[in-house]
Amino acid sequence: MLTVRNLSTYYGPVQALRNVSLHIGRGEIVCLIGANGAGKSTLMFTIMGVVKPSSGEILFEGKPIQELDPPAIVSQGISLVPEGRQIFYPLTVEENLELGAYQRFKREPKDSILADMENVYELFPRLKERRKQLAGTLSGGEQQMLAIGRAFMARPKLLMLDEPSLGLAPKLVDSILEAIKTLNEKGLTILLVEQNARKALELAHRGYVLETGRIVLQGRTEELAADEDVRRAYLGKDYRKFID
Amino acid sequence: MEIERQVEYLSPEGWKQWHLELLQSTINRVYTRVPFYRKLMDEKGIKPEDITDLSVLKKLPFTTREHLEKNYPYDLFAVPLKDIVRLHTFPGPRTPIVKGFTRRDLTSIRRLTARFLVTSGVTSEDIVQICLDPGMSIWIEELKEGAEEVGASVIPPDPQSVNNRIRIMRDFRTSVLVTTPSYALYLSHFMQEKGINPPESLRLILLVGEGIEAVERLRLEKALGVDTRLGYGVTEAVGPGMGYECEQRQGYHLAADYFLAEIIDPESGKEVKEGEIGELVITTLNVKANPLIRFRTGDLCCFLERACPCGRTTPRISQIVGQSDGRVSIRGIKISLSYIETLLEETYGHLPLYLLFIKQKNYLEELELWVAMNEKLFEPSILGLHQIATKFEKAFEETFGLPCRLKLVEKDHLLQVAQGRKVVRA
Repeated sequence: MLTVRNLSTYYGPVQALRNVSLHIGRGEIVCLIGANGAGKSTLMFTIMGVVKPSSGEILFEGKPIQELDPPAIVSQGISLVPEGRQIFYPLTVEENLELGAYQRFKREPKDSILADMENVYELFPRLKERRKQLAGTLSGGEQQMLAIGRAFMARPKLLMLDEPSLGLAPKLVDSILEAIKTLNEKGLTILLVEQNARKALELAHRGYVLETGRIVLQGRTEELAADEDVRRAYLGKDYRKFID
Repeated sequence: MEIERQVEYLSPEGWKQWHLELLQSTINRVYTRVPFYRKLMDEKGIKPEDITDLSVLKKLPFTTREHLEKNYPYDLFAVPLKDIVRLHTFPGPRTPIVKGFTRRDLTSIRRLTARFLVTSGVTSEDIVQICLDPGMSIWIEELKEGAEEVGASVIPPDPQSVNNRIRIMRDFRTSVLVTTPSYALYLSHFMQEKGINPPESLRLILLVGEGIEAVERLRLEKALGVDTRLGYGVTEAVGPGMGYECEQRQGYHLAADYFLAEIIDPESGKEVKEGEIGELVITTLNVKANPLIRFRTGDLCCFLERACPCGRTTPRISQIVGQSDGRVSIRGIKISLSYIETLLEETYGHLPLYLLFIKQKNYLEELELWVAMNEKLFEPSILGLHQIATKFEKAFEETFGLPCRLKLVEKDHLLQVAQGRKVVRA
């Protein structure tokens, strides 16, 4: 579905991505693992068209999209749930969801948009209870649900999530990840960046490990979870012993 | 066990992407972690970022067995030693070579070997008996684990007599035998000669370590009433499971998700033309401990260009038709003449004139090393000469896991038989 080839991105003089290649097949959950500053968010921003690559190509369903701007990329079928949610605090839950479908209002009947909103409420019943509440008054977990729901409202084929569990209590983390799994089971393809590498590897089918802008390892997630480098760097293998 | 079958049917475009991704991450790892490769790449002025296309690989220099020897024991490892969970050593061209495995490497190899076994028709219902010489210890280990992964019952090799092996085969109701073509032919000949009926349970023989001619293969299958499949591997890279026959039995399908293959002219190092025979060169894509970039296998073969009717899209190679590096294949074990020379020098203090005489006895090759007598070999007693010969024979068997008799012969006789060759088969 998504093919990235030889992608390099700079922030001024700093090279954030170095010759990155990866692919995501239809129906897959693929995770990106890496330390802070490894380039995970940059990669998502570059796919989304927010940051322009200096070289390389991004193919979505066989068509190059690296020259497109973010709205055009959204209408191709890619949505991003950014780190820190970035929902519209002064608007209600429902208005936030409607904004997620902004590009669809012109070309689609309202019914199908409302049907999708119901799907979001089914996935996150808490949002339905709070649909008239201002987004700014929601708890962290609810805000994250709203951010995912809003991205879903654009009816993406590929959903990209940047650190969806950041700052959430463990119980909420599980329910967010469970929701991601449900979305995937309904056919949504997912690219996931997650600081909780253990959880990400449990959820995803395949993964890539980024280190200072380069992919240094990839494979099926059970392979990665057993990999010595991954365990040491991202799963806290050496410290576990200490705590245990 | 779930076998990764899907990958064997990727589209050409899918393979291109798959290979590019794996090659880039492999190069990213070796460049930062293996000084040897970093130096080679720096000398050529190639940075990891330059690997934007698979064709760039051809600009990188080759890795040879000599490089593996020089970097003995740990200099080619791409992981810290504490990540290594298994170490194997085996003879290189002149001195030993070491190969390390991380836990992940062992899992990959186990899965790959299992894929070879399953593709060959092995199931969890099978009783798999392995009959290989100790010189193939790495293969034995990998085949055993692969068969266990499939869920079959495995009988690993013991230093048994042929009679005992046949008894085990009968008593344990072995259904799959894993051995070399020469040993399978020997076994079949032995049974015929002694009037022993082949065990009824035996249905499949997996032939590894070397190739077999079509006529002999048919004869073997007919005599024992079995099906046969071939497997190919390179000990330094990935053992058995690197290449395997499908039900079409037309060459080895290479496990292209684990490595890239090229075939080069051994003299010029340039890629051969389509369908031409040359030396197989491989780059590992999924190896953590000992990744190899453009490793020269010494095995001569050609790509089979036509798409395989089985539908797999992995590249296929022919059987191995010879060695380009002076190594000799005996019962699946590759022996380099230069290593024999090292042993001779260690034994006699100089390199005498020699000839490796390979005797074919009931399909089983036996080795004799003829050494030409000269004044430097002088020993006051016959016993002394005999002791020195025994010392060599012991060293040989320890190194290659195969017996070899040392025979002192007159120089003229040796020259007459050798006719300028160092290896004679009779």
